[in-house]
Amino acid sequence: MDIYLPIAEVSVNWPFLVMLGALVGFVSGLFGIGGGFLMAPVLVFMGIPPTVAVASQASHVVASSTSGVIRYSGMKAVDYRIGGIMAVGGALGALAGVELFRYLRLLGQADLVVAVSYLVFLGAIGSMMLYESLTQILHRVRGETPPRKERRRPMWLYGLPFRMRFPRSGLYISAIPPFGLGVFAGILSAIMGVGGGFILVPAMLYVLRMRAGVVVGTSLFQIIITTAITTILQAGRNQTVDIVLSTILLLGGVVGAQFGARLSGRFRAEEMRAALGLIVLLVGIQMGLELFVRPSDLFLLAPGVGD
Amino acid sequence: MFQALPPEPAPVVAPAPAPGVIERSVATEGEVRVAAALTDAQVKVDSSFRGASIVLYGAVFNPSDVPADVVVVVRGPDAPVRLVKKTRNMGVWLNSRPVLFEGAPGFYMTASTRPLSDVADFGQLRRLGVGVDHLRIDAPQESRTVTRYGVRDVVVSRLGEDYLDWRRAVIRLKEAAALYNTDPDGVQFVDRGLFRAEVELPTVAPTGKYYAEVWLFQEGAPVSVSNLTLTVEKVGLERDIYEFAHRRPWSYGVLCVILAALTGYAASRVFRSR
Repeated sequence: MDIYLPIAEVSVNWPFLVMLGALVGFVSGLFGIGGGFLMAPVLVFMGIPPTVAVASQASHVVASSTSGVIRYSGMKAVDYRIGGIMAVGGALGALAGVELFRYLRLLGQADLVVAVSYLVFLGAIGSMMLYESLTQILHRVRGETPPRKERRRPMWLYGLPFRMRFPRSGLYISAIPPFGLGVFAGILSAIMGVGGGFILVPAMLYVLRMRAGVVVGTSLFQIIITTAITTILQAGRNQTVDIVLSTILLLGGVVGAQFGARLSGRFRAEEMRAALGLIVLLVGIQMGLELFVRPSDLFLLAPGVGD
Repeated sequence: MFQALPPEPAPVVAPAPAPGVIERSVATEGEVRVAAALTDAQVKVDSSFRGASIVLYGAVFNPSDVPADVVVVVRGPDAPVRLVKKTRNMGVWLNSRPVLFEGAPGFYMTASTRPLSDVADFGQLRRLGVGVDHLRIDAPQESRTVTRYGVRDVVVSRLGEDYLDWRRAVIRLKEAAALYNTDPDGVQFVDRGLFRAEVELPTVAPTGKYYAEVWLFQEGAPVSVSNLTLTVEKVGLERDIYEFAHRRPWSYGVLCVILAALTGYAASRVFRSR
Protein backbone atom coordinates (compact mmCIF):
# COMPACT_ATOMS: atom_id res chain seq x y z
CA MET A 1 0.00 0.00 0.00
CA ASP A 2 3.02 2.27 -0.28
CA ILE A 3 3.59 4.72 -3.04
CA TYR A 4 6.77 6.54 -4.01
CA LEU A 5 6.50 10.33 -4.21
CA PRO A 6 8.57 11.67 -7.12
CA ILE A 7 9.41 15.09 -5.69
CA ALA A 8 9.55 14.28 -1.99
CA GLU A 9 11.61 11.17 -2.90
CA VAL A 10 10.21 9.05 -0.11
CA SER A 11 7.60 6.34 -0.11
CA VAL A 12 4.51 6.64 2.03
CA ASN A 13 1.42 4.66 2.93
CA TRP A 14 -1.27 6.13 0.68
CA PRO A 15 -4.48 4.97 2.45
CA PHE A 16 -3.20 6.74 5.54
CA LEU A 17 -2.66 9.91 3.52
CA VAL A 18 -6.19 9.73 2.10
CA MET A 19 -7.56 9.45 5.64
CA LEU A 20 -5.38 12.32 6.81
CA GLY A 21 -6.66 14.40 3.90
CA ALA A 22 -10.25 13.51 4.74
CA LEU A 23 -9.82 14.36 8.41
CA VAL A 24 -8.18 17.71 7.73
CA GLY A 25 -10.76 18.44 5.01
CA PHE A 26 -13.51 17.70 7.53
CA VAL A 27 -12.03 20.12 10.07
CA SER A 28 -11.55 22.63 7.28
CA GLY A 29 -15.17 22.49 6.13
CA LEU A 30 -16.43 22.55 9.70
CA PHE A 31 -14.53 25.59 10.89
CA GLY A 32 -13.83 27.46 7.66
CA ILE A 33 -10.10 27.22 7.97
CA GLY A 34 -7.65 25.76 5.47
CA GLY A 35 -6.45 23.16 7.94
CA GLY A 36 -2.86 23.51 6.82
CA PHE A 37 -1.62 24.07 10.34
CA LEU A 38 -2.87 20.58 11.22
CA MET A 39 -1.55 18.79 8.18
CA ALA A 40 2.00 20.11 7.87
CA PRO A 41 3.19 18.73 11.24
CA VAL A 42 1.74 15.27 10.48
CA LEU A 43 3.38 15.14 7.04
CA VAL A 44 6.74 16.14 8.48
CA PHE A 45 6.33 13.47 11.14
CA MET A 46 5.79 10.91 8.33
CA GLY A 47 9.23 11.74 6.97
CA ILE A 48 8.29 14.05 4.12
CA PRO A 49 10.78 16.94 3.85
CA PRO A 50 9.21 20.03 5.51
CA THR A 51 9.60 22.22 2.43
CA VAL A 52 7.76 19.68 0.27
CA ALA A 53 5.08 19.16 2.93
CA VAL A 54 4.38 22.87 3.25
CA ALA A 55 4.24 23.45 -0.52
CA SER A 56 2.23 20.36 -1.45
CA GLN A 57 -0.46 20.71 1.13
CA ALA A 58 -1.19 24.21 -0.16
CA SER A 59 -2.84 22.64 -3.17
CA HIS A 60 -4.87 20.38 -0.89
CA VAL A 61 -6.06 23.54 0.80
CA VAL A 62 -7.07 24.93 -2.61
CA ALA A 63 -9.21 21.86 -3.31
CA SER A 64 -10.96 21.58 0.02
CA SER A 65 -11.58 25.34 0.14
CA THR A 66 -13.03 25.34 -3.40
CA SER A 67 -15.36 22.59 -2.41
CA GLY A 68 -16.29 24.52 0.74
CA VAL A 69 -16.79 27.85 -1.01
CA ILE A 70 -19.13 26.36 -3.59
CA ARG A 71 -21.24 25.01 -0.77
CA TYR A 72 -21.28 28.26 1.20
CA SER A 73 -21.87 30.23 -1.98
CA GLY A 74 -25.06 28.27 -2.49
CA MET A 75 -26.14 29.47 0.97
CA LYS A 76 -25.28 33.07 -0.01
CA ALA A 77 -22.66 33.05 2.71
CA VAL A 78 -19.69 34.40 0.77
CA ASP A 79 -18.92 38.11 0.52
CA TYR A 80 -16.93 38.18 -2.72
CA ARG A 81 -16.31 41.89 -2.43
CA ILE A 82 -14.42 41.99 0.84
CA GLY A 83 -12.96 38.55 0.05
CA GLY A 84 -11.59 39.88 -3.23
CA ILE A 85 -9.88 42.82 -1.51
CA MET A 86 -8.35 40.49 1.04
CA ALA A 87 -7.25 38.18 -1.77
CA VAL A 88 -5.38 40.95 -3.57
CA GLY A 89 -3.57 41.68 -0.30
CA GLY A 90 -3.03 37.95 0.15
CA ALA A 91 -1.41 37.62 -3.26
CA LEU A 92 1.05 40.42 -2.51
CA GLY A 93 1.74 38.94 0.91
CA ALA A 94 2.39 35.50 -0.58
CA LEU A 95 4.88 36.97 -3.06
CA ALA A 96 6.76 38.66 -0.25
CA GLY A 97 6.45 35.59 1.99
CA VAL A 98 7.95 33.12 -0.50
CA GLU A 99 10.97 35.39 -0.98
CA LEU A 100 11.29 35.86 2.77
CA PHE A 101 11.13 32.09 3.26
CA ARG A 102 13.90 31.52 0.72
CA TYR A 103 16.06 34.03 2.53
CA LEU A 104 15.38 32.44 5.93
CA ARG A 105 16.24 29.01 4.54
CA LEU A 106 19.55 30.37 3.34
CA LEU A 107 20.25 31.67 6.83
CA GLY A 108 19.23 28.31 8.28
CA GLN A 109 16.64 30.03 10.45
CA ALA A 110 13.51 28.83 8.66
CA ASP A 111 12.49 26.28 11.29
CA LEU A 112 13.03 28.77 14.09
CA VAL A 113 10.74 31.29 12.44
CA VAL A 114 8.16 28.60 11.68
CA ALA A 115 8.20 27.36 15.29
CA VAL A 116 7.98 30.86 16.74
CA SER A 117 5.14 31.84 14.41
CA TYR A 118 3.21 28.70 15.29
CA LEU A 119 3.71 29.27 18.98
CA VAL A 120 2.91 32.98 18.98
CA PHE A 121 0.01 33.11 16.52
CA LEU A 122 -1.65 29.79 17.24
CA GLY A 123 -1.04 30.12 20.97
CA ALA A 124 -2.45 33.64 21.22
CA ILE A 125 -5.43 33.10 18.97
CA GLY A 126 -6.22 29.68 20.40
CA SER A 127 -6.29 30.91 23.99
CA MET A 128 -8.29 34.02 23.07
CA MET A 129 -10.93 31.99 21.27
CA LEU A 130 -11.04 29.37 23.99
CA TYR A 131 -11.42 31.98 26.73
CA GLU A 132 -14.10 33.94 24.91
CA SER A 133 -16.20 30.94 23.93
CA LEU A 134 -15.88 29.20 27.30
CA THR A 135 -17.15 32.30 29.12
CA GLN A 136 -20.14 32.36 26.78
CA ILE A 137 -20.82 28.67 27.30
CA LEU A 138 -20.52 29.07 31.08
CA HIS A 139 -22.99 31.94 31.05
CA ARG A 140 -25.47 29.88 29.08
CA VAL A 141 -25.10 26.84 31.32
CA ARG A 142 -25.63 28.89 34.47
CA GLY A 143 -28.60 30.55 32.85
CA GLU A 144 -27.17 34.01 33.36
CA THR A 145 -27.75 36.69 30.82
CA PRO A 146 -24.49 37.29 29.02
CA PRO A 147 -22.99 40.68 29.77
CA ARG A 148 -23.81 43.28 27.17
CA LYS A 149 -21.21 42.91 24.49
CA GLU A 150 -19.25 45.81 23.09
CA ARG A 151 -20.77 45.78 19.63
CA ARG A 152 -18.91 48.81 18.40
CA ARG A 153 -16.08 48.38 15.98
CA PRO A 154 -12.79 50.10 16.70
CA MET A 155 -13.11 53.71 15.66
CA TRP A 156 -10.02 53.69 13.47
CA LEU A 157 -11.86 51.50 11.01
CA TYR A 158 -13.95 54.53 10.15
CA GLY A 159 -11.19 57.10 10.13
CA LEU A 160 -9.36 55.61 7.16
CA PRO A 161 -9.87 56.57 3.52
CA PHE A 162 -11.28 54.41 0.67
CA ARG A 163 -14.52 53.54 2.39
CA MET A 164 -16.58 50.89 0.67
CA ARG A 165 -19.91 49.24 1.20
CA PHE A 166 -19.95 45.51 1.84
CA PRO A 167 -23.67 44.70 1.96
CA ARG A 168 -23.35 40.98 2.58
CA SER A 169 -21.12 41.53 5.59
CA GLY A 170 -23.17 44.47 6.81
CA LEU A 171 -20.14 46.77 6.73
CA TYR A 172 -19.35 50.23 5.48
CA ILE A 173 -15.65 50.60 6.20
CA SER A 174 -12.35 51.50 4.61
CA ALA A 175 -10.80 48.93 2.26
CA ILE A 176 -7.43 49.25 3.99
CA PRO A 177 -7.99 46.94 7.03
CA PRO A 178 -9.22 43.96 4.96
CA PHE A 179 -6.39 44.56 2.50
CA GLY A 180 -3.81 44.65 5.29
CA LEU A 181 -5.33 41.53 6.82
CA GLY A 182 -4.93 39.83 3.44
CA VAL A 183 -1.26 40.80 3.17
CA PHE A 184 -0.61 39.43 6.64
CA ALA A 185 -2.41 36.15 5.87
CA GLY A 186 -0.45 35.84 2.62
CA ILE A 187 2.92 36.14 4.35
CA LEU A 188 1.89 33.56 6.94
CA SER A 189 0.63 31.31 4.17
CA ALA A 190 4.06 31.17 2.58
CA ILE A 191 6.02 30.80 5.81
CA MET A 192 3.81 28.44 7.79
CA GLY A 193 2.24 26.66 4.84
CA VAL A 194 -1.21 27.54 6.07
CA GLY A 195 -4.07 29.41 4.47
CA GLY A 196 -4.23 31.90 7.30
CA GLY A 197 -7.85 31.05 8.06
CA PHE A 198 -7.18 30.74 11.78
CA ILE A 199 -6.02 34.37 11.77
CA LEU A 200 -8.63 35.65 9.33
CA VAL A 201 -11.69 34.13 10.98
CA PRO A 202 -11.13 35.69 14.41
CA ALA A 203 -9.96 38.99 12.88
CA MET A 204 -13.06 39.20 10.73
CA LEU A 205 -15.24 38.34 13.70
CA TYR A 206 -13.70 40.45 16.43
CA VAL A 207 -11.98 43.33 14.64
CA LEU A 208 -14.05 43.96 11.54
CA ARG A 209 -17.16 42.52 13.21
CA MET A 210 -18.50 41.08 10.00
CA ARG A 211 -21.83 39.31 10.03
CA ALA A 212 -20.99 35.93 11.54
CA GLY A 213 -22.80 33.94 8.84
CA VAL A 214 -20.54 35.09 6.03
CA VAL A 215 -17.21 34.90 7.85
CA VAL A 216 -16.43 31.24 7.14
CA GLY A 217 -17.35 31.31 3.45
CA THR A 218 -15.48 34.55 2.82
CA SER A 219 -12.40 33.34 4.64
CA LEU A 220 -12.39 30.16 2.52
CA PHE A 221 -12.72 32.23 -0.64
CA GLN A 222 -9.73 34.35 0.31
CA ILE A 223 -7.77 31.21 1.22
CA ILE A 224 -8.31 29.69 -2.24
CA ILE A 225 -6.72 32.66 -3.97
CA THR A 226 -3.83 33.06 -1.55
CA THR A 227 -2.91 29.37 -1.48
CA ALA A 228 -3.30 28.99 -5.25
CA ILE A 229 -0.72 31.73 -5.69
CA THR A 230 1.51 30.24 -3.00
CA THR A 231 1.38 26.84 -4.75
CA ILE A 232 2.38 28.32 -8.10
CA LEU A 233 5.18 30.35 -6.51
CA GLN A 234 6.51 27.38 -4.53
CA ALA A 235 6.48 25.21 -7.66
CA GLY A 236 8.07 27.89 -9.80
CA ARG A 237 10.70 29.16 -7.39
CA ASN A 238 11.51 26.17 -5.21
CA GLN A 239 10.22 23.10 -7.13
CA THR A 240 8.86 21.67 -3.93
CA VAL A 241 5.27 20.82 -4.94
CA ASP A 242 4.67 17.09 -5.15
CA ILE A 243 1.64 16.55 -7.36
CA VAL A 244 1.27 12.89 -6.34
CA LEU A 245 1.26 13.80 -2.65
CA SER A 246 -1.20 16.65 -3.10
CA THR A 247 -3.51 14.55 -5.30
CA ILE A 248 -3.69 11.80 -2.70
CA LEU A 249 -4.36 14.33 0.04
CA LEU A 250 -7.02 16.21 -1.85
CA LEU A 251 -8.96 13.09 -2.84
CA GLY A 252 -9.75 12.61 0.83
CA GLY A 253 -9.87 16.32 1.50
CA VAL A 254 -12.71 17.29 -0.81
CA VAL A 255 -14.97 14.57 0.57
CA GLY A 256 -14.13 15.46 4.15
CA ALA A 257 -14.74 19.15 3.48
CA GLN A 258 -18.25 18.44 2.21
CA PHE A 259 -19.19 16.52 5.34
CA GLY A 260 -17.62 19.19 7.50
CA ALA A 261 -19.52 22.01 5.82
CA ARG A 262 -22.77 20.04 6.18
CA LEU A 263 -22.22 19.41 9.84
CA SER A 264 -21.16 22.94 10.73
CA GLY A 265 -24.78 24.17 10.87
CA ARG A 266 -25.66 21.69 13.62
CA PHE A 267 -23.50 23.10 16.38
CA ARG A 268 -23.75 26.26 18.41
CA ALA A 269 -21.31 28.94 17.29
CA GLU A 270 -19.56 29.22 20.66
CA GLU A 271 -19.10 25.47 20.94
CA MET A 272 -17.47 25.46 17.52
CA ARG A 273 -15.21 28.31 18.52
CA ALA A 274 -14.24 26.55 21.74
CA ALA A 275 -13.33 23.37 19.84
CA LEU A 276 -11.36 25.27 17.21
CA GLY A 277 -9.63 27.34 19.88
CA LEU A 278 -8.56 24.17 21.67
CA ILE A 279 -7.18 22.56 18.50
CA VAL A 280 -5.33 25.73 17.53
CA LEU A 281 -3.84 26.11 21.00
CA LEU A 282 -2.68 22.48 21.17
CA VAL A 283 -0.99 22.60 17.78
CA GLY A 284 0.69 25.89 18.71
CA ILE A 285 2.05 24.46 21.95
CA GLN A 286 3.16 21.26 20.27
CA MET A 287 5.08 23.15 17.58
CA GLY A 288 6.50 25.64 20.06
CA LEU A 289 7.79 22.93 22.40
CA GLU A 290 10.77 22.28 20.15
CA LEU A 291 12.09 25.68 21.12
CA PHE A 292 12.41 24.67 24.75
CA VAL A 293 12.99 20.93 24.80
CA ARG A 294 16.57 19.78 24.49
CA PRO A 295 16.85 18.26 21.01
CA SER A 296 17.88 14.60 20.82
CA ASP A 297 20.58 15.54 18.33
CA LEU A 298 22.22 18.94 18.52
CA PHE A 299 23.01 18.87 14.82
CA LEU A 300 20.51 18.72 12.04
CA LEU A 301 20.49 18.91 8.29
CA ALA A 302 19.39 22.24 6.88
CA PRO A 303 17.26 22.05 3.75
CA GLY A 304 18.05 23.89 0.56
CA VAL A 305 21.31 22.31 -0.54
CA GLY A 306 22.80 23.28 -3.83
CA ASP A 307 19.78 25.15 -5.11
CA MET B 1 52.65 -11.65 -5.05
CA PHE B 2 52.53 -8.12 -3.85
CA GLN B 3 51.27 -5.86 -6.54
CA ALA B 4 51.97 -2.13 -6.60
CA LEU B 5 49.22 0.03 -5.15
CA PRO B 6 46.64 0.43 -7.88
CA PRO B 7 46.18 3.97 -9.14
CA GLU B 8 43.09 5.92 -8.05
CA PRO B 9 40.38 3.69 -9.51
CA ALA B 10 38.88 5.23 -12.62
CA PRO B 11 35.10 5.27 -12.45
CA VAL B 12 34.58 2.80 -15.22
CA VAL B 13 32.89 -0.52 -15.35
CA ALA B 14 35.23 -3.41 -15.15
CA PRO B 15 34.41 -5.39 -18.27
CA ALA B 16 32.07 -8.10 -17.18
CA PRO B 17 34.30 -11.13 -16.86
CA ALA B 18 32.95 -14.03 -18.79
CA PRO B 19 33.18 -16.88 -16.31
CA GLY B 20 36.12 -19.13 -16.78
CA VAL B 21 37.91 -16.95 -19.31
CA ILE B 22 40.12 -14.79 -17.17
CA GLU B 23 41.66 -17.44 -15.01
CA ARG B 24 42.88 -19.29 -18.04
CA SER B 25 44.65 -16.27 -19.50
CA VAL B 26 48.35 -16.67 -19.12
CA ALA B 27 48.93 -13.09 -17.95
CA THR B 28 46.92 -13.47 -14.79
CA GLU B 29 47.84 -16.98 -13.90
CA GLY B 30 49.07 -17.33 -10.40
CA GLU B 31 48.09 -13.78 -9.50
CA VAL B 32 45.93 -12.89 -6.52
CA ARG B 33 42.78 -11.43 -7.97
CA VAL B 34 39.24 -10.53 -7.12
CA ALA B 35 36.33 -10.50 -9.55
CA ALA B 36 32.84 -9.30 -8.73
CA ALA B 37 29.46 -8.53 -10.28
CA LEU B 38 26.10 -7.15 -9.23
CA THR B 39 22.84 -9.02 -9.62
CA ASP B 40 21.24 -5.83 -10.84
CA ALA B 41 23.25 -2.91 -12.19
CA GLN B 42 20.20 -0.74 -12.76
CA VAL B 43 17.76 0.20 -10.04
CA LYS B 44 14.49 1.59 -11.35
CA VAL B 45 12.61 3.99 -9.14
CA ASP B 46 8.89 3.85 -9.91
CA SER B 47 5.74 4.36 -7.88
CA SER B 48 6.18 1.06 -6.07
CA PHE B 49 9.82 1.78 -5.12
CA ARG B 50 10.48 0.96 -1.50
CA GLY B 51 14.22 0.74 -1.53
CA ALA B 52 16.22 -2.01 -3.16
CA SER B 53 18.46 -4.82 -2.09
CA ILE B 54 21.16 -5.75 -4.54
CA VAL B 55 23.47 -8.68 -4.16
CA LEU B 56 27.10 -8.25 -5.02
CA TYR B 57 28.86 -11.53 -5.55
CA GLY B 58 32.38 -12.31 -6.52
CA ALA B 59 35.27 -14.67 -6.44
CA VAL B 60 38.75 -14.50 -4.96
CA PHE B 61 41.61 -16.23 -6.78
CA ASN B 62 44.25 -16.76 -4.21
CA PRO B 63 46.95 -19.24 -5.15
CA SER B 64 49.15 -18.08 -2.26
CA ASP B 65 48.89 -19.21 1.35
CA VAL B 66 48.35 -15.71 2.74
CA PRO B 67 44.72 -15.20 3.84
CA ALA B 68 42.90 -12.40 2.03
CA ASP B 69 40.22 -9.96 3.18
CA VAL B 70 37.48 -8.61 0.95
CA VAL B 71 36.18 -5.06 1.39
CA VAL B 72 33.21 -3.80 -0.61
CA VAL B 73 32.72 -0.03 -0.87
CA VAL B 74 29.64 1.44 -2.57
CA ARG B 75 29.53 5.16 -3.08
CA GLY B 76 26.60 7.20 -4.39
CA PRO B 77 26.71 10.57 -6.14
CA ASP B 78 28.16 13.41 -4.10
CA ALA B 79 25.68 15.71 -2.41
CA PRO B 80 26.79 18.73 -0.39
CA VAL B 81 25.32 18.82 3.09
CA ARG B 82 24.20 21.89 5.01
CA LEU B 83 24.25 21.45 8.72
CA VAL B 84 23.12 23.61 11.60
CA LYS B 85 23.81 23.17 15.28
CA LYS B 86 21.24 23.93 17.93
CA THR B 87 22.50 26.09 20.74
CA ARG B 88 20.72 27.26 23.83
CA ASN B 89 20.26 31.01 24.16
CA MET B 90 18.31 32.27 27.14
CA GLY B 91 16.40 29.00 27.48
CA VAL B 92 15.51 28.78 23.82
CA TRP B 93 17.11 26.38 21.36
CA LEU B 94 18.24 28.30 18.30
CA ASN B 95 19.90 27.27 15.08
CA SER B 96 23.42 28.33 14.36
CA ARG B 97 24.60 29.62 11.01
CA PRO B 98 24.47 26.76 8.48
CA VAL B 99 27.79 25.18 7.53
CA LEU B 100 28.27 23.64 4.10
CA PHE B 101 30.11 20.35 4.00
CA GLU B 102 31.39 19.10 0.68
CA GLY B 103 32.62 15.74 -0.46
CA ALA B 104 29.94 13.79 1.34
CA PRO B 105 28.51 11.08 -0.90
CA GLY B 106 24.74 10.77 -0.96
CA PHE B 107 25.13 7.07 -0.21
CA TYR B 108 28.06 5.21 1.26
CA MET B 109 28.43 1.70 2.53
CA THR B 110 31.24 -0.63 3.33
CA ALA B 111 30.99 -4.32 3.91
CA SER B 112 33.97 -6.44 4.81
CA THR B 113 35.02 -9.81 6.09
CA ARG B 114 36.46 -8.27 9.26
CA PRO B 115 36.27 -4.85 10.89
CA LEU B 116 38.11 -2.37 8.65
CA SER B 117 40.59 -1.52 11.35
CA ASP B 118 41.72 -5.16 11.40
CA VAL B 119 41.95 -5.38 7.63
CA ALA B 120 44.38 -2.53 7.14
CA ASP B 121 45.93 0.25 9.18
CA PHE B 122 44.69 3.81 9.47
CA GLY B 123 47.10 5.30 6.93
CA GLN B 124 46.32 2.74 4.29
CA LEU B 125 42.56 3.17 4.66
CA ARG B 126 42.92 6.95 4.68
CA ARG B 127 44.94 6.87 1.49
CA LEU B 128 42.40 4.68 -0.29
CA GLY B 129 39.45 6.59 1.17
CA VAL B 130 37.92 3.36 2.43
CA GLY B 131 35.59 3.61 5.41
CA VAL B 132 33.19 6.25 6.63
CA ASP B 133 35.89 7.83 8.79
CA HIS B 134 38.12 8.33 5.78
CA LEU B 135 35.69 10.14 3.50
CA ARG B 136 37.00 13.48 2.37
CA ILE B 137 34.19 15.44 3.98
CA ASP B 138 35.15 18.97 4.84
CA ALA B 139 33.83 22.49 4.97
CA PRO B 140 36.01 24.44 2.52
CA GLN B 141 34.13 27.69 3.09
CA GLU B 142 34.98 27.62 6.77
CA SER B 143 38.67 27.08 6.38
CA ARG B 144 41.30 29.72 5.94
CA THR B 145 45.06 29.62 5.94
CA VAL B 146 47.09 31.35 8.61
CA THR B 147 50.67 31.57 9.61
CA ARG B 148 51.13 29.87 12.92
CA TYR B 149 54.38 29.37 14.81
CA GLY B 150 56.19 30.67 11.75
CA VAL B 151 54.67 28.01 9.52
CA ARG B 152 52.91 29.50 6.55
CA ASP B 153 49.63 28.29 5.05
CA VAL B 154 48.35 26.33 8.00
CA VAL B 155 44.73 25.43 7.31
CA VAL B 156 42.44 26.12 10.23
CA SER B 157 38.67 25.95 10.40
CA ARG B 158 36.47 28.70 11.71
CA LEU B 159 34.55 25.99 13.52
CA GLY B 160 37.53 25.64 15.79
CA GLU B 161 37.70 22.69 18.12
CA ASP B 162 34.12 21.68 17.33
CA TYR B 163 35.15 20.81 13.80
CA LEU B 164 35.29 17.08 14.43
CA ASP B 165 31.90 17.15 16.14
CA TRP B 166 30.42 18.77 13.05
CA ARG B 167 32.01 16.29 10.73
CA ARG B 168 30.91 13.35 12.85
CA ALA B 169 27.37 14.75 12.89
CA VAL B 170 27.25 14.64 9.08
CA ILE B 171 28.02 10.94 9.21
CA ARG B 172 25.73 10.24 12.14
CA LEU B 173 22.75 11.92 10.46
CA LYS B 174 23.38 10.05 7.23
CA GLU B 175 23.65 6.80 9.13
CA ALA B 176 20.35 7.53 10.84
CA ALA B 177 18.75 7.86 7.41
CA ALA B 178 20.27 4.48 6.42
CA LEU B 179 22.33 6.26 3.76
CA TYR B 180 25.66 5.38 5.36
CA ASN B 181 26.34 1.93 6.60
CA THR B 182 29.33 0.02 7.85
CA ASP B 183 28.98 -3.72 8.09
CA PRO B 184 32.09 -5.41 9.48
CA ASP B 185 30.85 -8.86 8.48
CA GLY B 186 28.77 -7.96 5.45
CA VAL B 187 30.98 -9.98 3.13
CA GLN B 188 30.26 -13.64 3.55
CA PHE B 189 32.00 -16.51 1.91
CA VAL B 190 29.42 -18.93 0.62
CA ASP B 191 31.94 -21.35 -0.76
CA ARG B 192 35.70 -21.56 -1.13
CA GLY B 193 36.70 -18.34 -2.86
CA LEU B 194 33.12 -17.33 -3.54
CA PHE B 195 31.63 -14.43 -1.58
CA ARG B 196 28.52 -12.30 -1.50
CA ALA B 197 27.52 -8.97 0.03
CA GLU B 198 24.24 -7.14 0.08
CA VAL B 199 23.76 -3.51 -0.89
CA GLU B 200 20.67 -2.10 0.81
CA LEU B 201 19.41 1.06 -0.85
CA PRO B 202 16.85 2.94 1.25
CA THR B 203 13.92 4.78 -0.36
CA VAL B 204 15.67 8.10 0.16
CA ALA B 205 18.78 6.96 -1.75
CA PRO B 206 19.70 9.66 -4.27
CA THR B 207 19.34 8.95 -7.96
CA GLY B 208 22.43 8.89 -10.12
CA LYS B 209 25.50 6.80 -10.69
CA TYR B 210 26.94 4.64 -7.92
CA TYR B 211 30.45 3.24 -7.90
CA ALA B 212 31.28 -0.01 -6.21
CA GLU B 213 34.84 -1.02 -5.43
CA VAL B 214 35.73 -4.49 -4.32
CA TRP B 215 39.14 -4.50 -2.65
CA LEU B 216 41.22 -7.50 -1.80
CA PHE B 217 43.67 -7.00 1.07
CA GLN B 218 46.51 -9.22 2.08
CA GLU B 219 48.53 -8.47 5.19
CA GLY B 220 47.06 -5.00 5.38
CA ALA B 221 47.86 -4.02 1.83
CA PRO B 222 45.55 -3.85 -1.17
CA VAL B 223 46.46 -6.44 -3.77
CA SER B 224 43.56 -6.24 -6.18
CA VAL B 225 40.49 -4.17 -6.92
CA SER B 226 37.44 -4.59 -9.08
CA ASN B 227 35.27 -1.64 -10.09
CA LEU B 228 31.58 -1.83 -10.83
CA THR B 229 28.89 0.75 -11.49
CA LEU B 230 25.28 0.88 -10.56
CA THR B 231 22.69 3.39 -11.68
CA VAL B 232 19.63 4.44 -9.74
CA GLU B 233 17.14 6.27 -11.91
CA LYS B 234 13.55 7.31 -11.90
CA VAL B 235 11.50 5.65 -14.61
CA GLY B 236 8.01 5.97 -16.08
CA LEU B 237 5.53 8.40 -14.62
CA GLU B 238 7.82 9.27 -11.69
CA ARG B 239 10.48 10.43 -14.09
CA ASP B 240 8.03 12.40 -16.24
CA ILE B 241 6.60 14.21 -13.22
CA TYR B 242 10.03 14.99 -11.82
CA GLU B 243 11.29 16.36 -15.11
CA PHE B 244 8.13 18.35 -15.73
CA ALA B 245 8.39 19.90 -12.26
CA HIS B 246 11.99 20.92 -12.84
CA ARG B 247 11.94 21.93 -16.51
CA ARG B 248 8.62 23.79 -16.60
CA PRO B 249 8.11 24.68 -12.94
CA TRP B 250 5.59 27.47 -13.54
CA SER B 251 3.30 25.46 -15.81
CA TYR B 252 3.59 22.60 -13.35
CA GLY B 253 2.43 24.85 -10.50
CA VAL B 254 -0.51 26.17 -12.53
CA LEU B 255 -1.46 22.60 -13.42
CA CYS B 256 -1.41 21.59 -9.74
CA VAL B 257 -3.74 24.43 -8.84
CA ILE B 258 -6.14 23.74 -11.71
CA LEU B 259 -6.23 20.08 -10.77
CA ALA B 260 -6.95 20.96 -7.15
CA ALA B 261 -9.68 23.46 -8.00
CA LEU B 262 -11.34 21.02 -10.43
CA THR B 263 -11.31 18.25 -7.83
CA GLY B 264 -12.91 20.58 -5.31
CA TYR B 265 -15.53 21.63 -7.86
CA ALA B 266 -16.25 18.06 -8.91
CA ALA B 267 -16.67 16.95 -5.31
CA SER B 268 -19.15 19.71 -4.57
CA ARG B 269 -21.18 18.80 -7.69
CA VAL B 270 -21.22 15.14 -6.78
CA PHE B 271 -22.38 15.90 -3.27
CA ARG B 272 -25.01 18.42 -4.30
CA SER B 273 -26.72 15.99 -6.66
CA ARG B 274 -27.25 13.54 -3.84
